[in-house]
Amino acid sequence: MTARHLRRGLAGGTVALVLLATQGLASPAFAATHPDDGSESGPGLSVLQTILIFVGIPAGLFVVIALLVTAPSIARGPRYRPGLGWWAAPVWFNGPDDADSAVRSASATAGGGGASARW
Amino acid sequence: MPAGDAFSPRQQDEVVRAIRLAQQQSQLPVSVYVGTLEGDSRAAALTLHGALGDGATRTVLVAVDPGARRVEVVTGPEVRRRLDDRAAGLAAMTMTSAFQGGDLAGGIASGVLALAEYAHVPPSLHTDTPE
Repeated sequence: MTARHLRRGLAGGTVALVLLATQGLASPAFAATHPDDGSESGPGLSVLQTILIFVGIPAGLFVVIALLVTAPSIARGPRYRPGLGWWAAPVWFNGPDDADSAVRSASATAGGGGASARW
Repeated sequence: MPAGDAFSPRQQDEVVRAIRLAQQQSQLPVSVYVGTLEGDSRAAALTLHGALGDGATRTVLVAVDPGARRVEVVTGPEVRRRLDDRAAGLAAMTMTSAFQGGDLAGGIASGVLALAEYAHVPPSLHTDTPE
């Protein structure tokens, strides 16, 4: 390492030290008169506010999202799902007016045809 | 029998419209029953068909039991000439493929329309007057 290199290194180091020192000394005095945002804690949250913010808002969001998810299927009405059984009352389109008594007094059709299928 | 909560109003409309179309296009009276078929499903469907009264011989009954996953197509003796069992089987297959996807009303509607499609208006034979 030559002497010139050494001298240049020393000079750089001195400048850095001086800068650090002035900054370090000046900032506490500056901070006393000009507090940063958030350096002073404000009044604490009341119990009610804490519950509202940390319980109320998440619970509200949960309810809103759950509603958004279930609303379409509620609007569409009950849906048949294969394998989950059948719950509804019988429906007869274009059937006899008094279905119960008609079925009770009915005899099975003879000579008819048709088809059966299962799924 | 009043409609239960098996179908939403829109689904009911779908089925009713298909039945009306079948009547208009092919003069095919179709009755659709959706509910439990107690005991032997074929016998229960035949009894239901018999309960249709005077028009039963001309009527096609589609009986669907979603709980037991069975569909029965019953054709009266008179309508059987227009709608053979093979056509009824095809319509039943149309329905079951929709039912497998959970589409009950849509399957019934397309099945009824398929029945109407297969049941041609009876051609009047022997009325041609050859030149």
